[in-house]
Amino acid sequence: MNNGHKIDWVKLFLDNFIWIIVVLVFTYFAVQVPNFVTPGNIVNILLHASVLGVLVIGQAIVLMTGNFDLSAEGVLSLTTILAMWLMVEPRTDAGGAQASGLMLSPYIVIPIMLMVGMLSGWLIGIMITRLKMNNFIVTLAMQLVLRGIAMLISGGQIMTGSPPLFNWMGGTRINGFPISVGVTLLMYLVVNYLLNQSKFGRELRAVGANTDAAHASGFDPQKTVTRAYIISGFMGAFAGWMLLGRLETSISTLGKGMTLETVAAAVIGGVSLQGGLGSVGGAFAGVILLSLIDNALNLIDIDPFWVQGIRGLIILVALLIEAQKFRYKPKVIHENGNVIVEKQV
Amino acid sequence: MKTKKNKFLTLIFDNLIWLLVISGLIIFSALSPSFRTPFNLINILYRSAALGMLVIGQAFTMITANFDLSSESGLGLTAMVGGLVLASEVNGGLGLEVSPVLAILIMIMVGLLIGLINGFLITRLRMNNLIVTIAMLMILRGLVYIISPGATASFFPKSFNWLGGGALFKIPMGKGSLAFPVATFFILFAFVVAHIITRYTQFGRNMYAVGSNLSAAKDSGIEADKIIRRVYLISGFCMAIGGLIAAGRLDSATPRVGAGMIFPVQAAAVVGGVSLFGGRGTMIGALGGLMLWSILDAGLSILKVSPFWIEASRGLLLLFAVGLDAVKVKQMRQRALSEALSSTEIGLEDTRIVTD
Amino acid sequence: MNTVKVKTEQKPILTMRGISKAFPGVQALRRVDLNVLTGEIHGLVGKNGAGKTTLMAVVMGIQEPNEGTIEIGDRTYQSMNPQEAMQAGIAFVPQHVAMMDSLTVAENILAGELPKNKLGFIDWKSVEREAKERLNKLNLHLDVTKRVEGLGVAEKTMLAIAKALFGNAKLIILDEPTASLSRADINRLFDFVKSLKEKGASFVYISHHLEEVFEICDRVTVMRDGRIVGTEYVSDIDIPKLIVMMVGEDVEDYSRKSTCTDEIVFVLNNLARRGYYEDINFELRKGEIIGITGLQGCGAEQLGKGLFGLEYRGVGEVKINGKEFTAKKPIDSFNEGLAYLPQDRYRFGLIGVRPVRENVTYPILNRLIQMINLINRSKEKQIVEGFINELEIITPSQEQPVRLLSGGNQQKVVFAKLATTKPEILILHEPTQGVDVRAKMDIFRIVDELASQGVAAIIISTEIRELMGICDRIIVMNNGRITDEFLKGAKNTTPENILDAIEGGKNNHE
Repeated sequence: MNNGHKIDWVKLFLDNFIWIIVVLVFTYFAVQVPNFVTPGNIVNILLHASVLGVLVIGQAIVLMTGNFDLSAEGVLSLTTILAMWLMVEPRTDAGGAQASGLMLSPYIVIPIMLMVGMLSGWLIGIMITRLKMNNFIVTLAMQLVLRGIAMLISGGQIMTGSPPLFNWMGGTRINGFPISVGVTLLMYLVVNYLLNQSKFGRELRAVGANTDAAHASGFDPQKTVTRAYIISGFMGAFAGWMLLGRLETSISTLGKGMTLETVAAAVIGGVSLQGGLGSVGGAFAGVILLSLIDNALNLIDIDPFWVQGIRGLIILVALLIEAQKFRYKPKVIHENGNVIVEKQV
Repeated sequence: MKTKKNKFLTLIFDNLIWLLVISGLIIFSALSPSFRTPFNLINILYRSAALGMLVIGQAFTMITANFDLSSESGLGLTAMVGGLVLASEVNGGLGLEVSPVLAILIMIMVGLLIGLINGFLITRLRMNNLIVTIAMLMILRGLVYIISPGATASFFPKSFNWLGGGALFKIPMGKGSLAFPVATFFILFAFVVAHIITRYTQFGRNMYAVGSNLSAAKDSGIEADKIIRRVYLISGFCMAIGGLIAAGRLDSATPRVGAGMIFPVQAAAVVGGVSLFGGRGTMIGALGGLMLWSILDAGLSILKVSPFWIEASRGLLLLFAVGLDAVKVKQMRQRALSEALSSTEIGLEDTRIVTD
Repeated sequence: MNTVKVKTEQKPILTMRGISKAFPGVQALRRVDLNVLTGEIHGLVGKNGAGKTTLMAVVMGIQEPNEGTIEIGDRTYQSMNPQEAMQAGIAFVPQHVAMMDSLTVAENILAGELPKNKLGFIDWKSVEREAKERLNKLNLHLDVTKRVEGLGVAEKTMLAIAKALFGNAKLIILDEPTASLSRADINRLFDFVKSLKEKGASFVYISHHLEEVFEICDRVTVMRDGRIVGTEYVSDIDIPKLIVMMVGEDVEDYSRKSTCTDEIVFVLNNLARRGYYEDINFELRKGEIIGITGLQGCGAEQLGKGLFGLEYRGVGEVKINGKEFTAKKPIDSFNEGLAYLPQDRYRFGLIGVRPVRENVTYPILNRLIQMINLINRSKEKQIVEGFINELEIITPSQEQPVRLLSGGNQQKVVFAKLATTKPEILILHEPTQGVDVRAKMDIFRIVDELASQGVAAIIISTEIRELMGICDRIIVMNNGRITDEFLKGAKNTTPENILDAIEGGKNNHE
């Protein structure tokens, strides 16, 4: 199995350093924050982590190609509202949003959600790869468009009463333990396995690390990037399914603010903003870490708006660390067979 | 001749925004009688004066090829701070009831501080400007909520409200009188000042140099980092004035002030010709972008289009503007390539011009 | 051992002594001695990878030499940073001129020091006037109100040179300034540069257009494999002699028996690409190895890339085994039986941070897939192991990131990658570049082996001796056209004749 390749303990340690941080932070909160380690609270943490986790898978994949996806929360918003609109019984009273009256079965609605997510990802991919538009602004604008459509459909009002057939993904608990956590965990294991063992995983890493060589080696970078965005869109919709199933209520502001959290989680977990490096395993650690912090802050009874602010701070810190990583790695320029390392000025 | 056609096209392209503005005015006036009232037409810039300040700030940073996505939260924060120190306790403030002058000074300091932090993080710590300013967007908005004890602070002194809500003069008209808002004139004035700075000062031209080609600018002896820090300071200042205008117009400050502005700010600047790639565009063009956006906003409202359509259309406008920007760049590369190819004699059978 | 000849009493503006520079895996410069005299236009020639760019990077302070000194004017440096180099008077005009394109000519010239009026505001009329004045001093006439992006390439280059001089540059390095210029533009540029020389400016002129070097330079230095081959006065030398210096002869001849069959496998009909090549016709047989050689810019490089799909191919017909070859991108080329070894290994050949195993199997992953998208790891390992053994690739394991391998072994990995696609046609671009002597022999052996299995190979290279040893035929290209063909073993197939042909066949060969 090893082919004479020794296990690099140092590398192993550094790559998994983030988990050590997770354990440390957890212990700190367990001691300092009252009610942190109660079963009910742990479940809360896991619930938040499960939805965030799904979104982070998508973001991490996009990041690996060297791009951002800021539209995920828009997908979440639109797909949840669309789902309710299609499924729920139209209200006879005045309050609340008006459903379509179609009352479609979840068997139809869930695939529609997922397809809408993928469609959004596809459109973004086209704009970025073919029209060469800036990935940041495009996904940001897309988020706005998606949320706008969501608001249009819902009229800014809430809709409640999603059918049980729909809610099982987000709402089912076995002995109080939500299965959505298990689902997310499973997804991570599967995605991690696929990234390492599948052709697509190779493609992703190659395109992110060196687009030209990837092209010359037979890959299609444009297709790869578009696929990454399609997956991210899919994850946005999936997360929507999960979240809606748990809350049983849709509102157009759902998921607001989660986008940057996904970037932070991925970056903290070692997915490089430059592309080509990192694993979803690391990102998962980032998810857990952020969920722990989020939860602890809530428990300390801090103003919920502190949380927003602190999230932003965490992102800055993550960025800082990321910037330092590349500070000491010299930029490499290539010149016709010779590697010329550019001096750090 | 080719160059005549090119010159004509360039002329159209450069001033496209004004064509759009005029078309917008004409179309909406035709579609709706309430649009073409003097009251409404004056209102257009009045309503978007605060936005206009942010557009100025954004244009400054964009010209250097940087983004400042934190401006809407900065506006909210400064407005809130101003409101808190001004309003009496009963009206939601801290009860300090400082003089308006002091309040304005404090607001400006807050704005400058934000700009200082942004500039520092981006130039000294070398962090990515997009992410930093988005993170600041979140942090500052969080701060706004944290510092507001209740929901709203209101009822400010008239002198404070003057810039945002006051009237410069009134013209008797029909049954009442038509008030010309200070804000309208002020924002026009601000754009003119900004234009003078960017066009007629060394600093302004250095901004364009930095945005056009960072290394070439540095080679010319321009201190790029200094310039960039300054534009972020200016952006912060604009946030403060924007906050002043917003708070003055509404005579109150809520934590939600400014939320959502980030998109029209981008869109207005880009549509007005300020390129995302830097080094291009003028303040006057940005003013055109602002006017176009305001006309659309006012027009769609008057036509009773659902506010949610308007939301979605903002995103679409941004996409359209960015797409146009990208196409422009592509066009230029095509032109450069065909020029290079036309100078050779080799391979004349192959008539295609292919860019990578 | 270089003797640096200096005819007159001119003082050198730049002297480099014993400059060496190494990068991981490659020795880029070996004890380089070079000087440039005041008021001289000094040509620097050598093929890609010879070390020209690295040498100039050292002069500009971007790279620090491992040993040696640099003397500029009166000062001696062991190392410099870019600011020091600039202050000492060194300026660089890159091939793709770096100006502030969206600003006007006047603004580019006066960047940072625009004239102002009494109120402190910029006086645009003065801006225009001063810019014009400065240009007039150099006898350069441009429309100063035009945006730089609207200028032609020649004008941009001249503007960049002018700007450097305004910045008190004493030595200006020009990197391939005539790349996309018409003859008329070249004349203008040369007149301009010559007039500046009269005023005392010194230039280093890097170019692969040898006729131009002779047109404008006073002396010329030839580099090869990181060494200075020699420096001569242009009046003491001619193009053929220059080419001999460039191409060199340090490889022991590889001889093989031809494996060429009669079966035609690859046909090119009237291939043409605007600006690069035209009238390209040839046929390739199974087991045949042909070489394509020529000066840089002859079109061979673009032809190779175009056939593979890395660049636009142009118009014309290409057939493999009688069937039309329609591939427009690399993966299609692989599938239709054509593989390409790029000259720039690091940019196009390998993904440095990924392991050997992955780099070898990228193009054939489809074949290794079992369920849905999953790769059969054991099969993959087997295949890679096979190639490691067959090609004698020296690596601690399959998992080693390729960037840690030596140049020769990296090249072998690329070969392995190409071999996995079982190509019928193999196009190799400078296959022995950056490869040590022992590995070179291995590479010849690999190509030989492939040919004997029926693969037809095209080697695009300027290593004439190597080509003579291994190729059945050598095609020479000039300015986008095929101008000569040399058969192995024929009487007229000598290095001198081939060099003549490369230069343009101006001297007749029997």
